[in-house]
Amino acid sequence: MGKRLVCQVADIPENGLKECEAEGGLKLVVANAGGEFYGFQAVCPHQDVPLCEGLFDGSTLTCHMHLWQWDIRTGEPRGIAEAPLQRYPLSREGDALYLGAEGTALDVGELFNGLAPSILEKLAGLARRETHEAGAMLYRPGDPAEDFFVLDSGRVEFLVGRGERTAPGGFMLKKGEVFGWAALLDGYPNRIASARCLEHSSLLRINGKSALGVLEKDPGAGFVVMRRLAALIARYLATSGVK
Amino acid sequence: MRIQVNARNRGYDFEALPGEKVLYAGLRAGIDLPYECATGTCGTCKAKVVSGRVRDGWAEAPGKKFVKPAANEFLMCQCAAEEGLTLEVSKFVYPMDAGACVPQKCIGTVRNSRALTHDVMGFALEFEEPRDFDAGQFVLLAPEGVAGYRGYSMCNFARGGRRLDFIVKRKPDGGFSQWLFGGKRDGARVETFGPLGKATFDPALGKNLLLIAGGSGIAGMMSILARAEEAQYFARHRGWLFFGVRTMRDAFFLDELSRYSGVDVTIALSEEDPPQNTRLRFERGLVHEVAKRAMAGKYQDVRAYVAGPPPAVDAAIRVLLLEAKLTTDNIRYDKYS
Repeated sequence: MGKRLVCQVADIPENGLKECEAEGGLKLVVANAGGEFYGFQAVCPHQDVPLCEGLFDGSTLTCHMHLWQWDIRTGEPRGIAEAPLQRYPLSREGDALYLGAEGTALDVGELFNGLAPSILEKLAGLARRETHEAGAMLYRPGDPAEDFFVLDSGRVEFLVGRGERTAPGGFMLKKGEVFGWAALLDGYPNRIASARCLEHSSLLRINGKSALGVLEKDPGAGFVVMRRLAALIARYLATSGVK
Repeated sequence: MRIQVNARNRGYDFEALPGEKVLYAGLRAGIDLPYECATGTCGTCKAKVVSGRVRDGWAEAPGKKFVKPAANEFLMCQCAAEEGLTLEVSKFVYPMDAGACVPQKCIGTVRNSRALTHDVMGFALEFEEPRDFDAGQFVLLAPEGVAGYRGYSMCNFARGGRRLDFIVKRKPDGGFSQWLFGGKRDGARVETFGPLGKATFDPALGKNLLLIAGGSGIAGMMSILARAEEAQYFARHRGWLFFGVRTMRDAFFLDELSRYSGVDVTIALSEEDPPQNTRLRFERGLVHEVAKRAMAGKYQDVRAYVAGPPPAVDAAIRVLLLEAKLTTDNIRYDKYS
């Protein structure tokens, strides 16, 4: 789809928010941060609350319902928020804002969003797009953990344990979610869970060592990614008191 | 009955008693399932049936507006499993901490019910066993044999105590409130489930305390003050309490509040001018406005607790985020709806 009109610049007050509907029907919340404009999904990823009713101080957007917060430039979660906002890049032409191409799973994802375009390009160059039917097995315990995956669409479920003795190990359903991240760690050469597509799913498969190679050449970006990976892993180890 | 919960990060399974609501069975098992009101209003405990059947105990629950029945969604606080049940919760779910007071169902006996104002009553529930809770928590109450829990915050604090103190505001449609106001209830038996709620205070926090309460939202603040006093918290940290009511006729706990010497107490009257020559400080205005005026420049190292009717809580949160620039982990709140 080509460029789609979202709204007039004058519609969005300085350091304010407004819900807009782009041509073609996509609803988004548009923020004016000191003359820079950012577009995000219109409702909170937590409980479907309209984000235009939230609080915005010019840099952080807060959903008024449960105080989830995001960085307005990137949609990255802040504070107690458990999920990023899907970002829609806007371009300004004259007095109007337009919706550009939607971000890819890498751009919007929890690990890589906001990185320099040159790094994202290199990572995208390593990614192989795969589509799988419902029921397809991506890996089993003991399989080599060479690649990690970024979910584009669909749904992937994990099982821990083997044979008859298995237990659910969670599921992925949001664009940009990363799994199979053992491929980015030293000392975890094998899968410890199975991953199965529950629906028709589209994924990016990226070789862990090659991705680390890209990040090693840009330690700044590598540091950001490793910090996020540490936070992501900690979410799986945390207890209820942490949040 | 076996219930299996698939959460974003892992799975859990636990047993439910026949007819027991899914949420209460999971919490009783020490699994911190998502909830906020636990009584059918907020929609936070939404889940999805993967296999099995649930029976909905309250088809008209206000929280139903958040669920899509066509997608097999339901409220865990209102539905019980009819057979072995597998459900999905689209959130990260963790086991409760080792030190958490795990909720349970208990019967208490009403003691010392008394009028505090024209439309607020105080009473205690006495239990046979100690009932531990964290300061700021609430329990669900229903007169024995009457369906439909309502949540009320404790006003006292005592580790190992067998008594919980409450206040209840008269509400025309409030099941428990109507029952309590409807006759002499001392000696009556009340079913309880709890403790619940995460707007809790522990002295290990080590920050200055800002407490903002609208009306009966003062209940949890009294518990926090009692907990802090017991630990001599205000010898090391500052404390401010802003208590908003309409008029003097609606104010209560004034004697109790005037006894906290280490806490800066202000009563905000929204609909009349303050009285003269009082021991406590009175100001005219909505509680969040009064707090905003008094607190300007004093937000360093502050943890805020807010409770009361939703509009009052929202207005106070706005001040705390935008004026005080507190981080969200330092804003704990309870909306009484």
